[in-house]
Amino acid sequence: MPINAESVEKEKKQGHRRDDSTDLALFVRTSQDDMTGWDRHRIVDALLRETYIDRDTAEKISIEVENTIQTGKVKTITGPLIREMVNAKLLEMGLESARRMHTRLGVPLYDVDNLLVQHNKENANVPHGPEATNLTLAEGIKKEYALLHVFTPDVADAHLRGDLHLHDLGFIDRPYCSGQSLEYIKKFGLNLPHALSAAKPAKHAEILLAHMVKFAAALQSHFAGAIGWDAVNLFYAPYLEELTDKQVHQLAQMLIYEFSQQAVARGGQAIFSDINIYWEVPKHFVDVPAIGPGGEYTGKTYGEYEKQAQRFAWALFEVYKEGDAQGRPFFFPKPLVHITEKLFKTEGHREFLNHICEVASVKGNTYFVFDRGETAKISECCRLSFKLEAQDIEDAKKPWKMRYSALQNVTINLPRLAYQAKGDDTMLFQLLTERIQLAAKAHEQKKKFIEKLMSMGTNGPLALLAMNHDGEAYLKLHKCSYLIGMVGLNELIKVHIGDELHQTEAAIKFGLKVIAHMNIVCNKMAEALDMKFVLEQTPAESTSFRFARLDMAHHRKDAEKVIQGNRETGEIYYSNSTLFNVGAQMSPISRVEREGLFHPLIEAGSITHLWLGEAQPDKEALANFVTNVFKHTQNDQIAFSPEFTCCLDCGKTSRGLVDNCPYCNSENVDGITRITGYFTKISSWNKGKLGELHDRYRNVNRFNN
Amino acid sequence: MRGEETYSYQDIPPILPPTHLPSCPTDCLPPIKGFLETSFVDWPGKLCAMIFVGGCNFRCPFCHNHPLVLTPKEMDSISFAEIQTRLTTRRKWLDGVCISGGEPTISPGLPAMIARLKAEGWAIKLDTNGSRPEVLAGLLKEGLLDMVAMDVKAPLVQKKYEACTGCQVELDKIRQSIELLKNSKIDHQFRITVLPRLHSEDDIRAWVEQLAGENSRLKIQNFNPRTTMDSLYEKESGFAPEIFSRLADMAATG
Repeated sequence: MPINAESVEKEKKQGHRRDDSTDLALFVRTSQDDMTGWDRHRIVDALLRETYIDRDTAEKISIEVENTIQTGKVKTITGPLIREMVNAKLLEMGLESARRMHTRLGVPLYDVDNLLVQHNKENANVPHGPEATNLTLAEGIKKEYALLHVFTPDVADAHLRGDLHLHDLGFIDRPYCSGQSLEYIKKFGLNLPHALSAAKPAKHAEILLAHMVKFAAALQSHFAGAIGWDAVNLFYAPYLEELTDKQVHQLAQMLIYEFSQQAVARGGQAIFSDINIYWEVPKHFVDVPAIGPGGEYTGKTYGEYEKQAQRFAWALFEVYKEGDAQGRPFFFPKPLVHITEKLFKTEGHREFLNHICEVASVKGNTYFVFDRGETAKISECCRLSFKLEAQDIEDAKKPWKMRYSALQNVTINLPRLAYQAKGDDTMLFQLLTERIQLAAKAHEQKKKFIEKLMSMGTNGPLALLAMNHDGEAYLKLHKCSYLIGMVGLNELIKVHIGDELHQTEAAIKFGLKVIAHMNIVCNKMAEALDMKFVLEQTPAESTSFRFARLDMAHHRKDAEKVIQGNRETGEIYYSNSTLFNVGAQMSPISRVEREGLFHPLIEAGSITHLWLGEAQPDKEALANFVTNVFKHTQNDQIAFSPEFTCCLDCGKTSRGLVDNCPYCNSENVDGITRITGYFTKISSWNKGKLGELHDRYRNVNRFNN
Repeated sequence: MRGEETYSYQDIPPILPPTHLPSCPTDCLPPIKGFLETSFVDWPGKLCAMIFVGGCNFRCPFCHNHPLVLTPKEMDSISFAEIQTRLTTRRKWLDGVCISGGEPTISPGLPAMIARLKAEGWAIKLDTNGSRPEVLAGLLKEGLLDMVAMDVKAPLVQKKYEACTGCQVELDKIRQSIELLKNSKIDHQFRITVLPRLHSEDDIRAWVEQLAGENSRLKIQNFNPRTTMDSLYEKESGFAPEIFSRLADMAATG
């Protein structure tokens, strides 16, 4: 809408003097929701406030911009347009750094229009709706901000080129993920900074659940990724003694539905939530005094709550087995069962293993986390886990103190290193070292930024993380991990030595060398910078697609020889992290064994996926398999992924991915299976993941084809 | 809609059973045409490897493994030695070995192969169509089997049975195999793959009644139109899920 072009024209005709810009009767739509009169001094003010240029230059620019507007018959003037014009002047004058500082962050009209209508598939856990587009828009601006203002140009450029990927840039002002126990809210109630009300510690199991869900939502709005809960069944146990089995079942149902239906908060996104479950009482909690109703010690230790904890664990898996009202698997919370030496010495473990394996077979939910020897872990996200160290075991005596966070995740594009090294080992490892150093630099910069926000304490933007009920801030910054991930080891190996990981022993050996080198460099950097750099298998839901796309654009000749997926449809990808080719016809045993060789080198967590397709395994056969994985491999974590078709017409769910609903023959169906470390609807997947889905080997004998 | 044309088993003319049974001596091992190192679905309660033996004396039109039945000679064979090596590396993992087909009992060398696997300490499951009770009896007598899954393809009525097998069948032999298993002490299962074109719900009820017994497990599997031997069957479908789950429950409760 031309607002004031007419008045400009009129003024011109009347031949008014215009050396004083306030006389220019032009109205400007400002970004403060206002229309103000034209005043070129606002340009000067902005330049002096935001950049380091001198007043005379600023004045000169403002006069030139004013002239352009006057002579250009501009019909609509907006704040952003003036800013663009000023930036153009800055560029003309060679004032590059001033232009950067004066940049406006925002989104083109065209993009917003598309965004409001079309589904964003970067994260399959974001539905489509007004909240989701808010999230995407906000993320877009914060991402630009991060790349311009938080990270130095070398780091930002490396991200944009696709040498590495800085995850969750849109959440630049939050840490990455958080793992904790219920003890914090059991002891302190729900008492969050600046909240409208505070609640005392829960007296009943349902109230504890309400506190847990709300706290999880509050945490979701302060972390980019997963919110994990340690030993959930154990920490609920002191509240369960009075409950009947039916009531315990109902509580389990409430817990799972609450988390799986929370898709109403941030960005319409369900909280990426994990619950860690133990059949036994973990050794480090056996002698710990238990906190019960009202936040009081019950006078017993957690070791005495084994039966109650088991009752709850059993009930949770009963609920998982049933699935939702339409028989679909619950997407969240993800149950992570710890398989430990002690588990096998605990009464009823075989029945429990069968029970959780039946869930794995029927619905797929169960994650089997292997804690061998004396290791203790808390797991979350798609595969992330925190190994508990001596200090943590000491903290375990006061479990509310046990909280873990990773501040950021940076993933390295491995195949590109191989393109650049051109077969030269020394060059390959040199480049790899440089990328890790750059990733470490990115971590330092994010750390500095978060420290700045945290230093404002409970009056700053991260008040929740600065909350201090137990003598230290909720976010223990000095203990944070900094994740370094990898994508496409398999393709790096193929470029560099000619075979994929599943093809030869030599390929595996070289692969181990690469990851071991990453591990060593991480440790050295950790010592040098006093920051905890750890390797993680990046879930890389969209990064494996992004790197593949960028390499097809910039390293086409090399990339097209190794890229996975379908180039004609654009459904291309690199193999995730250190995973073997998903389509390789490897038996599940070979896959867990061989992929497991890499897991001990990747401290912050790994996983092997076994794709089941439509087959519904025998629960005891699975339990035997899981037991053997624990006993005979180094594998860190496994999950079995079945596939489902849900009908959008009749609402029924059936096994396998099919084009027509077996119940009503409708073609209006959607598939469900694991995308990376979680279940989602296939219609929300990005193209790279669709390519991978097509390729996945599902352990069927191929002699038919 | 599928299946509007009405077929019945009477429409399908039985053909003679194939006569070209392998003629090699008994110490010649069966032709191994497929190997799956890990199966979670073929042996209740156990993680097993699968050996697929080529050749079959039935021509079930809905068969999924038809290359094994019709053209085993065109398929690459895997040597028994290779299977032994691969099994040995999986000793810690596997609870047993399942021998499937095709129809393993038509290979004269089957007992020898099983005996060798057994000597290496493997528990053995055999998948059979029960058409050669004398072979089954021998294996049972020698104590070479730990479990048997027998496909009983229809209630024991000549025409119905032959509609399912696509060839003539000596029902007495099927009966003998059933009795052998029922009277044996070993774990066994009777299986049937059902589809409306070949089985009415009454047929399935009759099947359950004929086979139910204290020591016998029954399993009803729904037909899945994948690559079938008779391409007409690719257009067939199994029972609707609601009906199928009722049938499956019937089998579970005997």
